[in-house]
Amino acid sequence: MALRIVVCAKEVLDPDAVNNYALEGRLVIGDDGRSLTQSSIPRLMNAYDEQAIEAALRIREAGVQCTITVVSVGEGQDILKHAASLGIDEPVAIQADSGTLDQHGIAKLLAAFVTSRGGADLVLCGRQASDDDQGVVPALLAEHLGVPAVTIARSVEATAAGGELGVRVVRVTPDGDETVTASAPVVVTISNELGQARYPTMAGRMAARKKKIASVTTAELGIAGEELRPRVTLAKQFVPTVKSSCEMIPGNAEEAARALIARLRAESVVR
Amino acid sequence: MSRVVVCTWGTTGGAEELLTLARGTAAALDATLGWLVLGPAPHDLTEIASRQDVPIVDRIEDEKLQSFGGDVAIAAVAAYARQHDFRLMLVPQTFDARVLAPRVAARIDAGVVMNGVGVGMEGGVLAVTASAYGGDTRVVYALDAGRFVVGIVTSALTAAPAAKPASAVTRHCPVDLAGVEERVRVVARSEAAGPRIEEADILVAGGRGLGEKANYRLVQELAEALGGMAAASRPIVDEGWAEPARQVGLTGKITRPTLYIAAGISGASQHMVGCAAAKTLVAINRDPDAAIFKYARFGIVGDCLEILPALTRAVKG
Ligand SMILES: Cc1cc2nc3c(=O)[nH]c(=O)nc-3n(C[C@H](O)[C@H](O)[C@H](O)COP(=O)(O)OP(=O)(O)OC[C@H]3O[C@@H](n4cnc5c(N)ncnc54)[C@H](O)[C@@H]3O)c2cc1C
Repeated sequence: MALRIVVCAKEVLDPDAVNNYALEGRLVIGDDGRSLTQSSIPRLMNAYDEQAIEAALRIREAGVQCTITVVSVGEGQDILKHAASLGIDEPVAIQADSGTLDQHGIAKLLAAFVTSRGGADLVLCGRQASDDDQGVVPALLAEHLGVPAVTIARSVEATAAGGELGVRVVRVTPDGDETVTASAPVVVTISNELGQARYPTMAGRMAARKKKIASVTTAELGIAGEELRPRVTLAKQFVPTVKSSCEMIPGNAEEAARALIARLRAESVVR
Repeated sequence: MSRVVVCTWGTTGGAEELLTLARGTAAALDATLGWLVLGPAPHDLTEIASRQDVPIVDRIEDEKLQSFGGDVAIAAVAAYARQHDFRLMLVPQTFDARVLAPRVAARIDAGVVMNGVGVGMEGGVLAVTASAYGGDTRVVYALDAGRFVVGIVTSALTAAPAAKPASAVTRHCPVDLAGVEERVRVVARSEAAGPRIEEADILVAGGRGLGEKANYRLVQELAEALGGMAAASRPIVDEGWAEPARQVGLTGKITRPTLYIAAGISGASQHMVGCAAAKTLVAINRDPDAAIFKYARFGIVGDCLEILPALTRAVKG
């Protein structure tokens, strides 16, 4: 039987573009006091989620028979097209206004989707989204599904020891790499150490054009509005100001280096 | 009366800083302050509790409690949360806490927020300020009704003793963990050899401005001359110029050294969250407008390939 893989993906503002605005001191919050206004910032798939798709594709390439579904809550049709062009089997959009949902609501919808499909053996998520950096949806999802979560993976291998489906994951921990195993079903989150995600091929792009993005509503998932009521609401967003107080050390390399070390010694920062 | 509870495990850093923050929050909410210690306790537990005016320290000890993030720890905290009411549980945001906080929240039907940098009242409502976009922005989340588990980045917090110290009472809170087994099995571990940059007093970090892998040696040489450690920005770790354990920032290590020398690093928020808490930050960059200078105490505008060896000579000479 094929391994059922579901990958969860989110659309975000391009973090590099946001960074560039921030570095130039031109990042502005809109009149609503909550969102970034620059309309020129492109929207794309959260890079860690792209790597989660990459992890799924690598499992397939390792010879494991599997189905790969990519699901996104909200309006991100473009990221699902992108997913389709990478050769996944089924892109699915859950119709909901992601702006009014909190992490609990998102996790609930994703769990209901997985359940509506009769379950999944492996759910892959990016370690966190590069916009809110929260990284809690995978853990919430695991709890809603009643399955374990293995976080911050650099590699994921599907195993079938004695006919029991499972995973073997190398995690990147502060103490070094850690290899763990868990039985399916399981949620695994992918970190950047997995490596570069692939680009779509021309043939992939062509095929994606014909692929229909499936769409499900919250009602079809049996989730009532009240269950999606957010516990955590975004009250406001702001750009932090950094109080600059940098003292520039003048001179050529030798002079500046000697002057700096003298200052640091005077302040007992170095011996 | 509602409670604000700090939950820590073993000797996780930042406990006292977090207790100071929680004490202020408890006062604003007219709530009492609690401290839940999971597993082994720091040797100076009672001193910290008394300095921070914690009336009651709750302890859960069980031989099954081996880590903060595993199924057993999550079950223990969730069981505690079912027996003891609170409005807010604060956890120091360690690697393991990133898993523990949301899973506990899901089990007790509480809200969850990570990356908190501050907690307070916002228009009469409890709110947590968290960093977003890798630190480019801050988001204020309102925590209206119910219970919340919040992860706090403690590296930028400072501990301050209470006006009048208290004598804390320790309460042992037994929880039944007999039926709980870890569902994830560790089969191999490669201990990162030697000291860690999170604990280093002096760090010299290199970035893409080094130009090529061979030049990372200049960073290592200065670090060695200063008796510190070499660190790195993410792009040069991705390029393989430095090992992952040396990466500073959002997806790397959060460091808090006395001295941080950043060479050829632009100062992106995702990097700065890992080093902005340094007591003295020195920036070396050939672009006088580089953002890193905004965070720096001292700056040198110039080529890091010349300045790094000059600094090494100045330290030695
Ligand atoms: C979700 C997410 C997570 C991230 N996590 C991290 C993280 O944990 N850590 C991290 O570091 N980054 C992280 N990043 C990347 C971050 O946004 C920046 O891209 C990165 O920090 C830039 O690295 P850098 O400063 O080395 O390179 P650059 O931004 O390319 O800067 C190089 C600097 O070197 C200077 N320079 C060039 N030549 C010289 C020379 N000869 N002498 C002196 N100066 C010179 C240039 O003026 C420039 O300022 C993350 C990004 C995202 C989106």
